[in-house]
Amino acid sequence: MVKLAAVLAVPLALLATVASLGVVVVDVQEGGPDGHRIMVPVPLVFAQAALAAGPIVAEEELRIPDEALEHIGIAREILDALAAAPDGVLVHVQEPDEEVIIRKVGDKLVVRVHGNEEEVSVNVPLSLARSALPDSDGRISTVAMAGSLGGVRFTDLVEVHDGNDHVRIWVW
Amino acid sequence: MKKSFLAGVGLAALFLAPAAAYAETPWIHVRVEEPEKQSKVAVNLPLSVVEVALEAAPEIIESKGKLKFGEKHGMKLEDVRKIWAELAAVGDAELVSVEEKDETIKVWRQGDQVHVRVEEKGQEEVRVEVPVSLVDALLSSEGDTVNIKAAVAELQKKRGDIVTVSEPDTTVRVWIDEQNAQE
Repeated sequence: MVKLAAVLAVPLALLATVASLGVVVVDVQEGGPDGHRIMVPVPLVFAQAALAAGPIVAEEELRIPDEALEHIGIAREILDALAAAPDGVLVHVQEPDEEVIIRKVGDKLVVRVHGNEEEVSVNVPLSLARSALPDSDGRISTVAMAGSLGGVRFTDLVEVHDGNDHVRIWVW
Repeated sequence: MKKSFLAGVGLAALFLAPAAAYAETPWIHVRVEEPEKQSKVAVNLPLSVVEVALEAAPEIIESKGKLKFGEKHGMKLEDVRKIWAELAAVGDAELVSVEEKDETIKVWRQGDQVHVRVEEKGQEEVRVEVPVSLVDALLSSEGDTVNIKAAVAELQKKRGDIVTVSEPDTTVRVWIDEQNAQE
């Protein structure tokens, strides 16, 4: 019995350690409560290791064109200015069948879209957006992005309700 | 007692200072309303962000904040600048008055505002009011560029309406205050 407990303790401890380092969860529900549900938990530590081991594969795909590169410094400055700015509603569009609100709340840009049949909620941590900007050579660092995901734990990144379908991505 | 009181005040100041700085942050607000379409658009941005964003269009804004004017708009900016300087010496005056069969356009300076009115068939179509100091700032550059940076610096000091446009089916209001919109 003690042996069994010891044998089980190792993977359990390993699982707990991996989970404690953060998990990105993708949850897709199709066709309402009786439909299909796919839930994919990706431990951040695995994602970071995979991205660190193979960034060369994705390097060319994640390289932005030179003409866009000259604006990246400005984009970074805008993100910094937004991060330093006080909280508030930045954009509010009201139309008969749709409402869009973009708010700055702390270190996040919060986007809400209320439509007749869909509800979209996106929370973009400014630090994550900043890490998604390419370097001076135009390369987007997947490692930096994965690293900054670790800094936005317990955040709902995306939630979409569209009729009977529901998609949620969050960092635990 | 005195020391702990001072320490308390210091701590309170430390916590309140950022809030005070936020309270003084100027925000530029834009409202566009189209009642017939039941459409309302509100954009609220801290001026600090606007200032940075204005540098984001290098093809339009030359040499960090100078918008090219050129001759294709009918008049050299240098000429506009000279006319503006002469008008400043005159003070309040009617700058433009165009009266046609169905349309009347008037541009005049009154106090610290430049007013533009466009009327069609006796009904007010467009009304724009722009602070004189904003025009001064825009024209403060040399050559054929307007000075966007100086205009933004001027806006930092402004509070109240900057531009209002009233048309029968659309109203636009741009103003600056220290209120961050909370829905």
